Amino acid sequence: MRKIKNKKDGTKILMFLIPALVIYILFMVIPMIGAVFFSASEWSGIKGTPIDFVGFKNYISVFQSSAFILSLKNMGRMVFFSVLFHTPIALLLAVAINAKFRGYRFFKAVFFVPTIFPLTAVGLLWYFIFMPNGSLNHLLSTIGLDSLATSWLINPGTAINTIIFVNIWAGIGYYMVILLAGLTTIPNEVYEAAAIDGASSFKKFFHVTIPMLKPIISMCILMDIIGTIKVFDLIFVMTEGGPNGLTNLPTTLMYYEAFRYDNYGVGSAIGVIILLIALVLTLGSKWIMRKKEA
Amino acid sequence: MGVYIFLIVMALVFVGPMVFTLLSSMKGNVEIFDNPFGLPEKFLISNYVTAWKEANMGTYFVNSILISVSTVAILIVVSSMVAYVLARFDFKLNKFLGIFFLLGMMIPMHTILVPVAYIIGSFNLKNNIFALILLYVAFSLPFSIFVLTSFMKGINASLEEAAIIDGAGYFQIYSRVMLPLTVPAISTVSIFNFLGAWNNVLFPLLFINNNKLKPISLGLLNFNGERGSEYGPLMAAIIITVFVPFVIYLLFQEKVESGLAAGAIKG
Repeated sequence: MRKIKNKKDGTKILMFLIPALVIYILFMVIPMIGAVFFSASEWSGIKGTPIDFVGFKNYISVFQSSAFILSLKNMGRMVFFSVLFHTPIALLLAVAINAKFRGYRFFKAVFFVPTIFPLTAVGLLWYFIFMPNGSLNHLLSTIGLDSLATSWLINPGTAINTIIFVNIWAGIGYYMVILLAGLTTIPNEVYEAAAIDGASSFKKFFHVTIPMLKPIISMCILMDIIGTIKVFDLIFVMTEGGPNGLTNLPTTLMYYEAFRYDNYGVGSAIGVIILLIALVLTLGSKWIMRKKEA
Repeated sequence: MGVYIFLIVMALVFVGPMVFTLLSSMKGNVEIFDNPFGLPEKFLISNYVTAWKEANMGTYFVNSILISVSTVAILIVVSSMVAYVLARFDFKLNKFLGIFFLLGMMIPMHTILVPVAYIIGSFNLKNNIFALILLYVAFSLPFSIFVLTSFMKGINASLEEAAIIDGAGYFQIYSRVMLPLTVPAISTVSIFNFLGAWNNVLFPLLFINNNKLKPISLGLLNFNGERGSEYGPLMAAIIITVFVPFVIYLLFQEKVESGLAAGAIKG
């Protein structure tokens, strides 16, 4: 590390920092401060109209609105099922692929590739499968299960679960790749020692693999929680929050409040709440993990 | 044995929808519904022509290439300069700056949408591609600076010291010595953020309403909104949209995966 000795040095260093600082402050820091400001204001979104300070009014009305409470419940449900399915399935796939059988690269690519596709494309792809005359219902009637066919994304009983399914589908490969990277760090000797002790592959999985991967598994779960809170594109594409707002998450609700109904203050308040949820959950899960380790 | 059955079932759940879309992209509307799972009777490449020309997917495609490449170019220049300073110079604010940039990683895009919309309105930035690019750069800076700084810290400083003895200035050391040695991390960051810009739809929704300027993710939605019943061309448009990420994965498999792992470690 080089010490900065004099003013001339300091100015030179500053030249390196200025471009990034300017972009970061203009497009990140100022909007962030603005978000807090707008969340305490009322504004119609029309240029030149006054922005009125209203204090906590937006937050109070947000928490009194049944639409927001519903979006929170949807978010909770989505987080719950994502955590329940993403990491466990990804772990099984990673372990299977890590055996490096013939053609394992193909399987890895198949599971991974949807995670780098635009979610608009993924959402649309599944939209055509789930629409009332789509291929899923066609498949169901072909195999004689007509009774199961439904308008998956329109039926209030299935809409949110259908989206949750697509979100799980689109994310598994991501966690699989991270867990695969983790698996390669487990030394072979550990497995050999377990084999000498006569451990079955079942036992090896539960007594070697899972304990050794614990930090990475926790990290996957944490990332899953934060990632699921931010889901937007899938719902925007597949249901637009419908039917009747039943599939809204805070992210989509925020977008529609601000840019469809011109309630910029309320939208911004929801935006700040999304940030707070992400912060609390991140710090909370880190705290739990640290406590468990101690 | 059970493992293989599980793998194959899972593979079907993943390949099925993708192959269905690929096959449908070459079928006519009637055939998509009458024969959804079979091969097309006649491969209708014309769907791709329709999507590319009439539905403007070609324009959107080029726009997205321009936007994503510019985002990455600007991002790499400005973030590597910061990373060089954070990795190599000892000054009072070093730690503070590192944390200041890192904190941005916590901020969800939705949180700042309203202020960004206000800024767009106040400064007439609607349909201003350059402002959209700078917004992408701002959101990519935290991750990029974090990865590049930790990579540069691991580079042996002896080469730089030799350069200093030869009378090289800081900028020369940065551009001639540091940057070439950082190429592995730079390529990871580039791929990661190229995909990020390619896949994003939220910011363009706010910025762009001129059809000539839309990026591909937004253009795809536009196509679906205007001509939602032309299933064949729409499926072709989906394939066109995922084509670039798919090729990037085929070419840089290791890099894409290590980029994700790096992105994971930041959490």
